[in-house]
Amino acid sequence: MTKMIGQRAIASLLSLLGLMILVFFLSRLTGDPAVLFLPIDATEEMKQQFRALHGLDLPLIEQFGRYVWDLLHLDFGESLRKARPAIDIVIEAYAWTLPLALITMSLVVAAAIFLGSLAAFNVGGFFDRLVSIVSLVGASAPDFWIAIVAIVIFALGLGWLPTSGVGTPWHWILPIAVLFIRPFGLVVQVVRGSMLSALAAPYVKTARAKGVKNLPLIFVHTLRNGMLPVITVIGDQAAAMLNGAVIVETIFGFPGIGKLMIDSILQRDFNVVLAAIMVTAIVIFIMNILIDIAYGLLDPRIRH
Amino acid sequence: MKIKTLLVGALLASTTIVPAMAQANTDVVVVLSEELDLVEPCMATRSNIGRVIMQNISETLTELDVRGDAGLMPRLAESWEDLGNGTWQFKLRQGVSFSDGSGFDANDVKHSFDRVFSDQITCESARYFADTELTFDVVDDVTINITAEPAQPILPLLMSLVTIVPSETPMQFVRDPIGTGPYLMSDWTAGQQIVLERRDDYWGELPEVTKATYLFRSEPAVRAGMVAAGEADIAPQITPEAADNRELDFSYPNSETVYLRIDGLDAPTDDIRVRKALNAAIDREAFIGTVLPEGTELAVAMTPPTTLGWNPSLTPPAYDPDLAKQLLAEAQADGVDTSLPIEIIARTGNFANVTEVAEAITQMLTDVGFNASLRMVEVAEHEQFYSKPYPESEGTRLILAQHDNSRGDPVFSMFFKYASEGTQSGVADPQLDEMIANASAATGADRAALWSEVFAYVQEEIVADVLLFHMVGLSRVGERLDFTPTIATNAQLQLSEIGFK
Repeated sequence: MTKMIGQRAIASLLSLLGLMILVFFLSRLTGDPAVLFLPIDATEEMKQQFRALHGLDLPLIEQFGRYVWDLLHLDFGESLRKARPAIDIVIEAYAWTLPLALITMSLVVAAAIFLGSLAAFNVGGFFDRLVSIVSLVGASAPDFWIAIVAIVIFALGLGWLPTSGVGTPWHWILPIAVLFIRPFGLVVQVVRGSMLSALAAPYVKTARAKGVKNLPLIFVHTLRNGMLPVITVIGDQAAAMLNGAVIVETIFGFPGIGKLMIDSILQRDFNVVLAAIMVTAIVIFIMNILIDIAYGLLDPRIRH
Repeated sequence: MKIKTLLVGALLASTTIVPAMAQANTDVVVVLSEELDLVEPCMATRSNIGRVIMQNISETLTELDVRGDAGLMPRLAESWEDLGNGTWQFKLRQGVSFSDGSGFDANDVKHSFDRVFSDQITCESARYFADTELTFDVVDDVTINITAEPAQPILPLLMSLVTIVPSETPMQFVRDPIGTGPYLMSDWTAGQQIVLERRDDYWGELPEVTKATYLFRSEPAVRAGMVAAGEADIAPQITPEAADNRELDFSYPNSETVYLRIDGLDAPTDDIRVRKALNAAIDREAFIGTVLPEGTELAVAMTPPTTLGWNPSLTPPAYDPDLAKQLLAEAQADGVDTSLPIEIIARTGNFANVTEVAEAITQMLTDVGFNASLRMVEVAEHEQFYSKPYPESEGTRLILAQHDNSRGDPVFSMFFKYASEGTQSGVADPQLDEMIANASAATGADRAALWSEVFAYVQEEIVADVLLFHMVGLSRVGERLDFTPTIATNAQLQLSEIGFK
């Protein structure tokens, strides 16, 4: 296991290096940040001054060299637009995105595993059909529509929850609920499918013959074997959430990494784009390693 | 029964826990469309920064009365006088202090301009002094002479664009702005809020608003909903779709003008008949009350009607598709290739329903025989087409753009948009260059008359572009406030203008 984690870490570092080079040069292909930072009637002298202040007038390879040198000193550079260290801005945004993603995915995993397993056990029954319909609607419903409708009903209509913002725990309910719906729809379907296969295995018949009750049969004996494909999908959904939930962040005024990345790309704030992508990549690499460990724990064949 | 009681209790508790953001009677919550990157006084002419800083935290020497017709008013300067040879003398207000307790004097004025022109930071207000060399002579604590080379007849007006900071302010962007205004910034939590609190030691009359919290939501429906739900008091810049409450929503001219920039040096738009045909082909009235809000006015100039030199005799081009077809046929008969492609470049998110407006215009041009097509682009790509050097094209491009001038004088628009050297100009006309130069250098009634002539020449003689609409802004204001948004709300939101019912 340790060897596997070590190999994955080295591969991740190489990927990170490649990503950094790629993003550095690709982002600079998008154009001149001075044009977007300065007003449309700014003089050429002002634009030149802005480029010189931020080292954007240097040859590209020299800019890259300086960036790598600073990075070796853990300096991600300054945001062109906010005049602050880019890494501070990214970490501030992640401080909102991480708990949002963690809480939402925990709820998704718990609900999807429980309901998907029960649906698979009662395949074809009313509960199974209900879960299938709800999950299909959830997996295909557009986020922005659900978010606006949720605000209209729960904030404006009933007045139970605030429309947006992050001030209190109440502010988190609507963003989490909206973010929950799509991954829940997807994961519950995978759990159901995976559990259907697992429940048809001969060892389940043996367990039943030995008198094992339904709940232990589902959640102790079968679930562990049905979890491998589910973990892959959960990892995929969690990675998407760690990249930021742009629509939910935009509508609910949630200062997360998704909106920061989109804004920084549109504004050509190169250092923030690079820092955000690098930090996101590191978080996703860590998550992938955790998933590998989870595979190993669930399936001894992988572990050994 | 117990469960039912618990549920009802929980629901009631939830309704009381949801925060009513505007706590005290004299506190207000303003929800803006975008977060501020900087809270830097020398960037206050950028509208999203200006709405928080301008005349709230930081003040200027002079102030243009955009809400009324008082013209240029004193603020930190009590009076000013033209000493001749490009020198203006400003007498400063006494007894004014900054929010850090230090006193305001002429050295602060000099330092504020030193920052604007410093090569260590890029201050936005420097653009208003392009090609103008300013020198400062501090006569005494309350008197400063400012000399412009070449002479600048509207120097006092330009003083309304530069915020004054203490002479200790470093030559770098600050995060804790210090000003002489009636408010100081007590909190800036990035991504969440900015809070301004009233200063009790302000030199002027104390405003009614004691505390202002600025929140940021990019979705207009959410901003409007926050005011409706009592979470906010003012939501500027909402869309027509979100403005569904007649009692709370205000419509007002917002100083933006939408137009199609023609490249008059490109074929086929280098022929005036083609430019006239473009103007006659568009049914401007059809947009108002449909995809654009009621109150939108048809444009006859690049600047709004509140600008100096406004020419009331100008009328918008009539919608006449037959005339457009006839003009095109005449041009074609004289050898102009009117079949050349005309690509309309429009920017997504430029204003509400921009895509619908651009699509309709494209169809109207196609209907009279233009080979028109539409390309919607992001802001960065739009800029490449909008400013010189313009990219090559097989035919020509029309740039759908929106221009803001709430500064009161056409000089902030006309050179850039119409002079041969103008960054976004599609015109190269020596006579117009001279007219713009003369109007820019004139003062008083002459200045207004000369600008008026420039407007007429651009619109009627050379048909430089397709002027479309003077836009309106929509803002939602909570019931408890006594505040009417106006054209000024586009660039600043003075808390001192807000009262309570």
